[in-house]
Amino acid sequence: MKVFVLNCGSSSLKYKLYDMTDESVLADGKVERIGQEDAVVTHQSIGKDEVNKTMPILEHTVAIQECLKLLVDKEYGVIKSADEIGAVGHRVVHGGESFSDSVVINSETKRILESIIDLAPLHNPANLAGIRAAEKLMPGTPQVAVFDTAFHSTMPKHAYLYATPYVIYQRHKVRRYGFHGTSHKYIVDRVASLMNKNISDIKIISCHLGNGASLAAIAGGSSVDTSMGFTPLEGLMMGTRSGDIDPGALSYIMEKEDLTMADLNSMLNKHSGLYGIAGASDMRDIEKGVAEGGAMHKIAFDIYEYRIRKYIGAYMAAMNGVDAIAFTAGIGENTPSLRTRICQNLSFLGITIDETANQQKGQEIEISTSDSRVRVFIVPTDEEVMIARDTAALVK
Amino acid sequence: METRRIAILGSGRLGRGIAENAASKGYEVILFSQGAGSQDAPHKIEQSLSRKLAKWSLTESEKRVILSRISYTSDLKELANVDLLIEATIDHFYTKQELLRTADRLCQPNVVFILTSATLCVSAIARGISRSDLLVGVHFIPPVPNVPLVELSHSEDTSEEAIKVAEHFVAKLGKSIVYLQESAGLINPRALVTLINEGAYMVDEGVADIPSVEKVLKESWTMDQGPFEMADRMGLDTILHWMEQLQDAFGDRYAPAPLIRRFVRTGRLGVKSNVGFFAYTQDGLIDRTWQEQED
Repeated sequence: MKVFVLNCGSSSLKYKLYDMTDESVLADGKVERIGQEDAVVTHQSIGKDEVNKTMPILEHTVAIQECLKLLVDKEYGVIKSADEIGAVGHRVVHGGESFSDSVVINSETKRILESIIDLAPLHNPANLAGIRAAEKLMPGTPQVAVFDTAFHSTMPKHAYLYATPYVIYQRHKVRRYGFHGTSHKYIVDRVASLMNKNISDIKIISCHLGNGASLAAIAGGSSVDTSMGFTPLEGLMMGTRSGDIDPGALSYIMEKEDLTMADLNSMLNKHSGLYGIAGASDMRDIEKGVAEGGAMHKIAFDIYEYRIRKYIGAYMAAMNGVDAIAFTAGIGENTPSLRTRICQNLSFLGITIDETANQQKGQEIEISTSDSRVRVFIVPTDEEVMIARDTAALVK
Repeated sequence: METRRIAILGSGRLGRGIAENAASKGYEVILFSQGAGSQDAPHKIEQSLSRKLAKWSLTESEKRVILSRISYTSDLKELANVDLLIEATIDHFYTKQELLRTADRLCQPNVVFILTSATLCVSAIARGISRSDLLVGVHFIPPVPNVPLVELSHSEDTSEEAIKVAEHFVAKLGKSIVYLQESAGLINPRALVTLINEGAYMVDEGVADIPSVEKVLKESWTMDQGPFEMADRMGLDTILHWMEQLQDAFGDRYAPAPLIRRFVRTGRLGVKSNVGFFAYTQDGLIDRTWQEQED
């Protein structure tokens, strides 16, 4: 079966076409600047030239239509007809409490997704737009939703409840949901395989460090805690997000800076994190700044590293131990200096790393030495293949 | 027909506010203006977005994208290529009707017209244009990007389809709709004018000075702006004009306070002339250092 995996953002989308007989990627691509006259389409089928097109693409239906055209294109495509696509797998950011696993999309699924849009107002509308567009363009092809939150549905109540009045949870479902679940699930599968252990026997801390970043404590294959919360704002310092902050400081900031709630929300999500401290949201720029002696770059790097380490400590306590720590996503896979610093500062655990291995970027590799008491890995994440797997399994 | 490109006639505070709001929600906006001061519109929209940037509610790149979606022209021929028209000029019956007649000739026949008037009824304006079934009254309240609702009214001739187009547009701007019967002054302008007028009478009668009246009304009702600052931002000439129209419609209970007539007569029009009830800096902020000169 061929599975088309779609990850729709508000102004961009990424896609991959898989042949699930061997999980090979037949084609992948992306559309950026959706909604603009100069949207950019990038597509590559396996073994063929890359296509780059700039054209007006004003909404998701047209964007997906362009992707499908390229997939069936005689010169650049890889299938003869869109009918060859057996199912479409959609990444959906928030499933709320309604979805603890991936589902085949029907009208009820969409109704529930509509009803929980408030939980992820920046992401779920775009995910829904992608679902509707794909349904319109491929009527009759099964569509599957794979949720970022689903993997964390195993968290115990003491981990997911906030200590607010309980009625707030009952009335509005305000609780920790966690995100990056598809990625954390992939990581734990890979780490178990690399350790040659049964997944149910190991405790892992998965560090997904991209522009958004979260840690997950995974015991016996189940998420027991994660650093993102009700929204993807909680937890670690991120590219432009603040991560944890005293809620008491928020009303103080609003008063002193004469901010509305929307202003504050935007400040914490788009103007904080690495960017807020050092004026650069990209870890490569931060590293460069540190190397050049930039004081604020150093502070930003220090906060970033410290917060990850603090959460690792917390999750070891949460699981009463840890067997492996894995780094993934853009920053996690490609920042040796960050991994070195974190591991050096966890020497009390008996962690030692092989600096030669640690210099690898974006490769699946163990970076701890053979005598390290906790094993440490770099595992490039692959959320798309997880979405494709769930999709294929559900529509079989 | 999907609405993508919208025309806004009038680049005053209301037109600029709708333009900024619509562009920030992804619409391509053509802002038409012909009057004096129209060349300030790009600068004022940029200034408004810069204030939001300073308050962290926007990023630099978001600001650039919003600005790139707004174009400015005085050439009405460009109306031939728009999907929706919003009329946002001064509430003067003949000016509006004449402008809409011209637009009626130039726009595609299925384009819905939105009338933003505070004091003129849809039915009255609709009589002068051929597409009376496509005219919907939507009253946007300044500052448009911040106010989360509009007042919607329509005539008996207005089609369901036209109302749906207006509703969809308003929803995409992130606003809710309050539906009203056609009535001069709707809810917001009528109540606002009353409050401003009553405040001005209090000052005229020596009950309290301008800052005191403003402070009591603003703080006791936890308003973001008091009625005098609101009046200054709307323009005292606009407020006076509304009062006169409401006086025509409802009688002397809307008779403008002498203070407001005096301010308008002496050119104290509010933010646009840098002084009204209060004085304003070039950035449009209240100038707290300003002292009123004794006559």
